[in-house]
Amino acid sequence: MSTFTNLIKAVFKERKKTASQVPFTVIFGVFQKILEYNNQVLELMAEMGTKLGGAYIFDQQYIRSTCHHIADLVYKLIYNLNALAPKKYLKLYDALGAITSDIEEELAGRPVIPQAEYIMPYSLITDDFTDVVGAKNANLAEIKNLLGLKAPEGFAITIQAFKAFMEFNRLQAKMDALNAAWQKEDASKNQATEEIRRLILEGTVPQLLQKEIYSSLDILYQGVNPEETLLALRSSAMSEDGEHTFAGQYLSLLNEPRENILQAYKSILASLYSDSVMEYRQQKELMDYQESMAVACQLMVNAKVSGVLYTLDPRAPDREVMLINATWGLGAPVVDGRARADLYTMDREEPYELKSLDVVRKPEKLVAQKGGGTDIRMVHQDLQTTTCLTDEQMKQIAETGLKIERFFKNPQDIEWAIDHEDNLVILQARSLNIKDQVAKLVCDISSVLDDFQIIFKNKGSIAQEGIATGKVFIVKTEEDLDRFPSDAVLVTAYTSPRLGKVIKKASAIITDIGSPTGHMATIAREFRVPTIVNTGVATQLLHPGQIITVDARENVVYEGAVKALCYYEFAEETFETTYEFRLLQRVLKKIAPLNLLDPSEKNFTPSGCKTLHDITRYVHEKAVEELIGLEYDKTSDTAGSGRKLKFDIPLDLILVDIGGGIRDSASLSEVKPQDVISLPMKAFLEGLSVPGAWDTEPMSVDFGSFMSSLTRTFSSSMATPKYVGQNLAVLSKEYVNINLRLGYHFNMIVAHIAENLNDNYAYFRFLGGVTDISRRSRRAKLLGEILVKSDFRVDIRGDLVIARIKKLGLEMMEEKMKILGLLVSFMRQLDVKMNHEQEIERLKNVFQDLKNDHIKNVI
Amino acid sequence: MGDKQKTKILILDDEPIVLKRLKPALEKSGYDVEAFSRSLEASNRIMEQDFDIVITDLKMEGLDGMEFLTRVKDRSPATEVIVITGFATMETAKESFKKGVFDFLAKPFKLGEIKDVVAKAEIKIKDKR
Repeated sequence: MSTFTNLIKAVFKERKKTASQVPFTVIFGVFQKILEYNNQVLELMAEMGTKLGGAYIFDQQYIRSTCHHIADLVYKLIYNLNALAPKKYLKLYDALGAITSDIEEELAGRPVIPQAEYIMPYSLITDDFTDVVGAKNANLAEIKNLLGLKAPEGFAITIQAFKAFMEFNRLQAKMDALNAAWQKEDASKNQATEEIRRLILEGTVPQLLQKEIYSSLDILYQGVNPEETLLALRSSAMSEDGEHTFAGQYLSLLNEPRENILQAYKSILASLYSDSVMEYRQQKELMDYQESMAVACQLMVNAKVSGVLYTLDPRAPDREVMLINATWGLGAPVVDGRARADLYTMDREEPYELKSLDVVRKPEKLVAQKGGGTDIRMVHQDLQTTTCLTDEQMKQIAETGLKIERFFKNPQDIEWAIDHEDNLVILQARSLNIKDQVAKLVCDISSVLDDFQIIFKNKGSIAQEGIATGKVFIVKTEEDLDRFPSDAVLVTAYTSPRLGKVIKKASAIITDIGSPTGHMATIAREFRVPTIVNTGVATQLLHPGQIITVDARENVVYEGAVKALCYYEFAEETFETTYEFRLLQRVLKKIAPLNLLDPSEKNFTPSGCKTLHDITRYVHEKAVEELIGLEYDKTSDTAGSGRKLKFDIPLDLILVDIGGGIRDSASLSEVKPQDVISLPMKAFLEGLSVPGAWDTEPMSVDFGSFMSSLTRTFSSSMATPKYVGQNLAVLSKEYVNINLRLGYHFNMIVAHIAENLNDNYAYFRFLGGVTDISRRSRRAKLLGEILVKSDFRVDIRGDLVIARIKKLGLEMMEEKMKILGLLVSFMRQLDVKMNHEQEIERLKNVFQDLKNDHIKNVI
Repeated sequence: MGDKQKTKILILDDEPIVLKRLKPALEKSGYDVEAFSRSLEASNRIMEQDFDIVITDLKMEGLDGMEFLTRVKDRSPATEVIVITGFATMETAKESFKKGVFDFLAKPFKLGEIKDVVAKAEIKIKDKR
C-alpha cells in the first residue's frame, strides 16, 4: 500500500512540475488500479443483484457488509482518478457522500423518501418503496413508469405521513386501548372504534405534511383546470393487496375538490377502523394487527366506461381465459359488486378471441358531478342493453392486462377505465392469489416440454430470471432500435448501454456476447426482463419474426409459445415480500442503476452520478479519456527500452515495452513482429500486415490536394509538433497505446485486452490529412461506415473520427484490433483516391473483401 | 418417511430471515425442523432433546456460536453440526473443524448447497448407526 501511495504522490508531484515528466509506467499503474477496483465493484454489484433472484439465502449482515465494501472501493476509484488527473474530479467525493449517507439510512431501517419527508410523486415510486407508499400506489407507479401505460397522475401520501399524523395527535395510546378491548372481546370495542374514528377525523394534519400536500397538489395541477378535474383519493394500506387483500374494505373517495383534501385524507385514515374492517380482521384473526395506511391522491379520471379485468379466471384458471366486466360511467358499483355488468370471456392469446359475451341491462350509471361528488344517472334507453366496449377496446384491455401480468409475474385483478378521449387508463392492479389453483395447470411440466423443440440450451449466462414468449426481433443498427416493437424478444450480437431505451419494451433479451455484470444486464434487471447473455449463437439460430419461449430460469430457448411454462412461474413461491428482499432492492437502487448511459449526454457529470454504479462508470470512462489525453513522458525511464519494429511495411514504429509486451529474447535494438506478445499489439500488427492492404505505390497526390494540405497546420491536441512524424507504441501484455502519423493523418489507437471482458476496450481516433474538405469528409464517412459495420460506436465531428468498442471477450477484441490494423493500412492514402462520393461504396467493398479474406470472424 | 423417524434438525440464527427461508425448505425435503433466533432458547432446547443435525450461525448477540456448538458437542457428540456464517475466515473455519464440525458454509449460500450438506450429514449419521 505504501508503495502505491508513493506512486500516487509521485504522480501528483511530477505533474505539478510539468505534465510531460511523469513516467508512463506510473500512470499506467494508477490506471490499472482503477480497472481493478472497477471490476471488483461491478462483480460485487452483480453478486448483490443475483441475490434478488431467489436462489440464495442471505441476511441483513450480508447486505450491510457488501454495501460497505462497495462504498470503500468506489472511494478508492475516485481517489485514483484524482491521482491520474490531479484534483480534477473532487466533486465525485460529494456524490459519493450523498449516496452513502442514504444507504446508511436504509440500513438503519429508515427508508429514504426522495425529495420530501412525507410525499412521493408517482414519477419517483418504485416497487421497493412498497413499505413506504403501500402496494396500490407502488403497483400503479410501476405500471406508469416502467410499463409506460396510462394511469392517473398523482402522488402518494406515505406511511410515514400516517405515522406522523398519529403521533402528532397522540392517537397511539388510544389505539392500544382499542386493541386491548378487542382482545378481551369487550363490549366496548364498538365504542372504542367509534372514538378513534372521531379522533382521526377531528385530528390535525401536521404543518409540514400539509405544506407538502399542498405543494404536491400545485405540481399535480400544473396545466390542469381545477374546476374540471377533481381528485380521487384511495387507500393504499400496508397489508392491502398483500396476503389479505382487504379488497374494498377501506374508503376510496371519488371526485373530491382539492379544498377537501385534508378532510378526505383523514376520512380514509379513519376507514382503518370502520366496522366492516373490524369485522374482517376478526374473521381473519388479525386482531392485534397494527395497520398503517398510505393514501393515493390522483387526478380523477372521468370515465365513459369502466370495469374490472381478471387476466385469469381465479375460480377456474385451467379454463385459460380472461374475464372483463364493463359498465357505463365510473366503475365503483362494479368493483363493489353493487351493480351488474357485461361479462366478456376471452382467450388469453392473440388475437384475444371472444369466447362468450354476457350482456346485462345497465339502467344506471355512476358519474362525476360538477363541483364534486358522484351521482347516479339513468343510462339512455338505447344504450342500456348494448355492450360498452368496441372490439378494439376489448383487445386493448386484454393486451394491456397481459403486459401487466408479465411484469408482476402473476395473474392480475385490474381496475380500468376508458376516458372521454377514448384512452384506456389503468386505475389499479393487484395480483390474483391463485397459487393453489395453478398447480392444477402445470401438474406435469416435463411431459409438456417434450412436445416443444429446443432451439438451444445452456448457452451463455442468465442475467435476469424469468420466462417469456415473444417474436424475435434482431437489433443491428441504431435505426433498428427506433423500430423495435413492443413485447418482442430482443436478439442482438452485443450488449450495449444504447440498448437501454428499448429494454423495457422487450419481453425477453438474448445476446451473442455480453456479461451478466454488464450495464445492459443491470438495466434488464431493473425492468425485470428475462435475459440470457453471451449465448454465442442467438443471432445465428434465431430469425426475425420467429415465435420463441425464453426460459431464463433453466436457460433454454424453445421454438413456439410454451404456455405451460409461463403458468408454472405463477406457482413458484416468492420471497419478494420479505423485509430483506426489499432492503436489498432499496440499497441496490442507490448502488446498481445506471443513469449515465451515454458519455455524450448532459448528465455525464459528477453531479449526475446518483448511484455508486454511476460513479464507477464515470470514473472508468474518464480514466480512459485521461489516459488517452495524457502527455506522459515518452522517453524518461523507458528511453533505453524504446526499440524499432522491424517490419515489412515502412511504418517506422518505435515500441516502448512497459511490461510483458515484448518477448524477453528479442533483440535490444530491433524487434521482430513475432517477438511482440502484447495481445492487442500482436492482433493490430496482424491486421496491418494483411497483404494487399498497404498501398506501396508512390503517393499520387494531385496538385490541388497537395496545395490544400500546405495551408493546414498541425494543431491536433494529441500530437504536439515535437512528435509529428514519430510513430510510437507503448505496450504491455494486455495494453497498447499507438500514436501514428501516416502520410498526413494522425491516428491514435488505445486498447486493453485481457480475460476479463469488463476491462476490455479499444479506442480509435483519426484526424487530419492532406486534401480538401469534401474528400476529407468522404474519408471520415467511409471510415465511420466501416467501423460501424465492425460494431464500433462511432462519432464523427468534421474529419475527426472517433470509434470505441468495449467489453467484448478476448478473441472478439483481438478480431477488432486486427480490423483496426487492416484499416490503418488500408486508409493510408484513401483521401487522395476519394474523388467521388461513389468511391465510398466501392472502397467499402474493397475493405470488406480484404477483411473477409484475411480476418477470421470470431463468433 | 413412513414409519421411519424423521431426521431432527435445529437451526439457530439471530436473523429471522434465515430461519424463515431455511425452515420451510428443509421441511419440504422431509426433515423435522426447529428454528431459534435466540441462542439462550436454543441452548435450553438442546438440553431437553438431542438433535441429529444442528445448523448454527457463529456470530450472534448473547451466547457466541462457537460456545453453542461446543455445548451441543459436549451434550451429544453424535450430533452433526453445520456452521453458517457471514464472517468466514480461515481461523474460524479451522477452529470449527477442530471442534468436530461437519461442514462450514459461508453466507450467503444457495438453498441447494445447504440441502446437499444436510443430506451428506444425514448419510454419515445413518452409517454410524
